Amino acid sequence: MSNIRWKVTFQIYRAKGDGPVHFDTFFLDVDPDEYVLDGVERLWAFHDRSLCYRHACHHSTCGACGMRVNGVEKLTCITPIREVTTDGGTLRIEPLRNFPVVSDLAVDMGSLYLRMDQVHAKSVLPVTEAEIEKSPRDWSAEDQQYIRLSDCIECGLCISACPISATDADYLGPAVLAGAQQTGLSKDPALVEIVDSEDGVWRCHSAYECTAVCPSFVDPARRIMNLRRQVLGQRWQGLFNRKGAQNLAVEEVTR
Amino acid sequence: MNKVDNEPSRSKWIEWFNPQGRNLEGITFSLNRITGLGLTLYLFLHLIVLGTLARGANAYDNFIKLVHNPFFIFGEFLVVAAGLIHGFNGIRIVITSLGIGVPTEKRLLVVLMAIALIGTLIFAVRMFTA
Amino acid sequence: MANVTLPKGVSAPKSGENTWLWLWKLASGPLIFILILIHFAVNHYLGSNGLLSYREVLSYYSNSIVPVMEGIFLVVVVSHSLLGLRSVILDLHPSRSLLRAIDWIFLLGGTAAVVYGIWLLNVIVASIPKG
Repeated sequence: MSNIRWKVTFQIYRAKGDGPVHFDTFFLDVDPDEYVLDGVERLWAFHDRSLCYRHACHHSTCGACGMRVNGVEKLTCITPIREVTTDGGTLRIEPLRNFPVVSDLAVDMGSLYLRMDQVHAKSVLPVTEAEIEKSPRDWSAEDQQYIRLSDCIECGLCISACPISATDADYLGPAVLAGAQQTGLSKDPALVEIVDSEDGVWRCHSAYECTAVCPSFVDPARRIMNLRRQVLGQRWQGLFNRKGAQNLAVEEVTR
Repeated sequence: MNKVDNEPSRSKWIEWFNPQGRNLEGITFSLNRITGLGLTLYLFLHLIVLGTLARGANAYDNFIKLVHNPFFIFGEFLVVAAGLIHGFNGIRIVITSLGIGVPTEKRLLVVLMAIALIGTLIFAVRMFTA
Repeated sequence: MANVTLPKGVSAPKSGENTWLWLWKLASGPLIFILILIHFAVNHYLGSNGLLSYREVLSYYSNSIVPVMEGIFLVVVVSHSLLGLRSVILDLHPSRSLLRAIDWIFLLGGTAAVVYGIWLLNVIVASIPKG
């Protein structure tokens, strides 16, 4: 950390209970190499203890601290202040879009977690199944023992950025479709009925906003395109192989 | 504004056309939507006005005379521009949706939109200087 | 047959849009691209000045492949545009009943447009002077 200090104005989205949404303005002296989350935390600690926000690991593993910074989705624990503003500039901090606001900057991500579960998205993968850079052509028997964390940290930035998630509450969303792609339809054919639907893979219109904001290496847009290929493959096979194609009867759950 | 406004809602359709904070593909998504809707409207209007062909030579020829004015020519230019943008972006979507070329998708988009833009400029010159 | 009960609050999969509809929308795109190039080139460059007179339209349609090509073009472009419009409506998450109503309107409207177009093609072809 250097001795440089910037004067930055923080405009923070506030919403409590049924009250109207408003923005509170705070002025902070910050080190530009600090992270946006550090700024928010300092506001909570020294200026307003009623400010509500989500955070945990502070090193881009938990996915809790996603917010919109000047209109763009960011994982605030790894977003240096100098990346998003200048000395004398303003940071407008809002909660992620397309999730219910619990309080201030904290949103309810329950629907995302439920849907990730529905598509059997794995949080830990055998390394032989994970897509990693420069993977060996053949994994040795010894390598089979290794596992790695899935790239998706379920931060929800992709869902916030997706223009279709803005108008369709039931759209599975990029993270969930990417999770289904990673699970693989050939390994889990039951997923075909979930993703080959009006709230599934066909709602994507290639805006690629999800990939643009993903702080990890998921590249949801690419995975959705691959998932389409998988769906086409499964449906094509299903045409010629009635016995092989699985059919699921799904009970509709009324809210 | 209430915190419920943060949730998905049909009224947020206007956000489809908001370029703020969007990357190139996001803006192209907005353009594809506008051009698709515009071209659909044009298609049905086009089918209707072609009905003059069933009313004989005078009807059609008079219609052609009618649309030889700057207002209609500008409208036709918009249709050409919309067709080029929608068509070339559509090619990107066809290619990438089949899982081909996704890592180079952005380069593909830039090239295709450049072709669409050049085509639009060529038609603008032809249509407004003729 | 396996039965899956979904957790509360998560939508059940619906078949309002599926692989085959999407695949047709995708396949019809490049088809339109090719047909529109022909359609456009002919309309503006054929003959002296394109199809800007009734006489030139009849002359163009006297080639028997033309009505067939234009008829195919009509079906492809009407289905592509209505599927696209339906897709935009699906992005707004319509209710089941509204979607059903829209499906009927599009089916009837699209069919009407195609029937009208084919009728028009027949009228044009019938108007071509013999000999």
